[in-house]
Amino acid sequence: MLACVCIAVVGVAYVWQKNQIYRLGDELKKREATASAAEKRNTMLAAQLAQLKSPALLEARCQQYGLGLVAPREQQMVRLPEPGPEWDAKLLAPSSGFVPSTVPAKKPATRTVAR
Amino acid sequence: MTTTHKTRALIVVTCLSLMFTALGGRLVQLHVLRHDELSSQAAANRGQVVQRQGRRGEIRDCNGNLLANSQSVRIVCADPSITTSNAGVVAAKLSPLLKMDVAVLQAKLTGPGQYVRLKQKVDEETAQQIRSLKLKGILFEDQYLRTYPHGTLASHYIGFVDSDHKGVQGIESAMNQYLEGVSGYEVIERDRKGREIRALRTEGIEPRDGYHVVLTLDQVIQHVAETELEKAMSEFHPQAGVIIVSRPKTGEILAMSCRPTFDLNNAGAALADARRNRCISDVAEPGSTFKIVVCSGAMNERIVTLQDRFDCHNGAFLYAGRILHDAHPYGILPVEGILYKSSNIGAAVVGLKMGAPRLYEYIRRYGFGRKTGIGLPGEVSGIAHPLASWSSLSITRIPMGHEIAATPIQMIMAMNAISNGGKLMKPIVVKRVVDDAGRVILENVPQQVGQPISPATTAMMTTALRRVTTAEGTAPKAAVEGYDTAGKTGTAQKIEGGQYVRKYYSSFIGYLPASDPELSILVSLDDPSGGAYYGGSVSGPVFRRVAEKVVEYLGMPPQKPVTNSKQMASVR
Repeated sequence: MLACVCIAVVGVAYVWQKNQIYRLGDELKKREATASAAEKRNTMLAAQLAQLKSPALLEARCQQYGLGLVAPREQQMVRLPEPGPEWDAKLLAPSSGFVPSTVPAKKPATRTVAR
Repeated sequence: MTTTHKTRALIVVTCLSLMFTALGGRLVQLHVLRHDELSSQAAANRGQVVQRQGRRGEIRDCNGNLLANSQSVRIVCADPSITTSNAGVVAAKLSPLLKMDVAVLQAKLTGPGQYVRLKQKVDEETAQQIRSLKLKGILFEDQYLRTYPHGTLASHYIGFVDSDHKGVQGIESAMNQYLEGVSGYEVIERDRKGREIRALRTEGIEPRDGYHVVLTLDQVIQHVAETELEKAMSEFHPQAGVIIVSRPKTGEILAMSCRPTFDLNNAGAALADARRNRCISDVAEPGSTFKIVVCSGAMNERIVTLQDRFDCHNGAFLYAGRILHDAHPYGILPVEGILYKSSNIGAAVVGLKMGAPRLYEYIRRYGFGRKTGIGLPGEVSGIAHPLASWSSLSITRIPMGHEIAATPIQMIMAMNAISNGGKLMKPIVVKRVVDDAGRVILENVPQQVGQPISPATTAMMTTALRRVTTAEGTAPKAAVEGYDTAGKTGTAQKIEGGQYVRKYYSSFIGYLPASDPELSILVSLDDPSGGAYYGGSVSGPVFRRVAEKVVEYLGMPPQKPVTNSKQMASVR
């Protein structure tokens, strides 16, 4: 009797497990299809984005809508010199009052006064 | 039980026994005797080996902008053995979706066999619409479609693929081994309706997508080159035109534009002539731009200095029984003047003083007569005749850019050497190859392939070439206001049927800032019409317009204050 029950339980478990495998397989297939569709859509959108960002199209749209967008001319730009070693020396001089973030700042004297 | 009943029961039992015996026998026959045959048949019915194609890699510009990618599309197929019975209805439903004629579709749907392709390159959305019609006998296959979002932009440079997705021109062909992915496969089992039973997938190898190629090309600079070349084509109506923009210090090609051109998304419709990359495949006599070779060679050998003066024979120089002419008569000119006035006679005289063997040596040192190694298919070597085949006239004709043929890429690389301390660089079109995760598979670094002249000579050459863009030079219209510009004009007569004809190649090759060049630009127009044909008046202004926009885009600071009234007007 016990053996029969055991066999029955094992049989049911086997069928249940098989069923689970198939169910998970189907789920996996659906997920794979979703991922694949997303990837395809992504590729298509990437091409569309590239097309929309193309200089030729942007230029055409600017003209079409009369936006008057032009690149800034040299006269409209202020060029700042790239800070070199001489700037570092100037900035780090004690008289400059500049404290770079990498150097720990001294505690203000007021902090040391006992209240 | 009567005898009759017993007999009947015996008959039934015997029949049943015989039936079960026959059934058992049949089972033994199917499962034991024909096991191998039938099990393989069953496996063949259920199982299938599906090939999975790896997606072809993308092509991007130096800033990561997409120039080419592969999109997944569908092939719509049919099984005529199923569709024949209601071909009319199926054709009528498919016709508007596939944008095909009903009669054509009907003919395909009623054809022989069990497989026919109705239409290729059908997008996913349309495929979905067709699927929702639930038509019997209509099948779908996967296919990749190579798309080029910018159409004609850099078409000769990027190239295209054939129907098998193999590169046939440009980067697509040159980098095919990196771009194409590796196919994989899966062994699957299908159910009664032909759907895959995912749980029974036994083995498989994932396909590997192709690597992505990052070019040295900058799409904005390319767009500037394309736009200005198009304008020049409408203004001067030449047969063809070329613009190359490069970085002299590294040899990187930032833009490469040719006309006539073609749409990469419809390359098959273009004429072969329009698909040719003229920057690397077309050779022509360079004309006066070649004077940089003889003058720099002579100065490098210390045969002449920039200030040495030569008699230019007032525009007519008799040598070896033939008269050589200048476009304008000149008397005595220094070597510097020979360059910025572009005197043919002056260049010939310098060539004579230099001597044929040394001139030939410099021609080779600059890389003429051999491929630059740009890495694009279709590059030609140009023509630099060996010294033994030079005629007595060659020594006076080669210095002015005749009797020699070069490609535009060879010319700009030679000019780059002059601008870059004499270092002849290998042109680079591919910056790097990366995988999906961004890991670098291949990286091209600048490569010096020669040192034709010394840095001291290049300084002297730059002094002379700066004056080309001044009012006393041949290309004042090429000067870029505010920027230290140097360059050389070229106006070479074309040869047709072995004779020089009144058709010209007008070119200008320049670089800026001359003291520390960041950019070099070559403009060449084949047979401009409308009267103007000199390199300085045709290609010079095109060079200026391209340079102005590119320096603006790159944010290159000017060397002098800009006071251009035209620019000010546009600002206001």
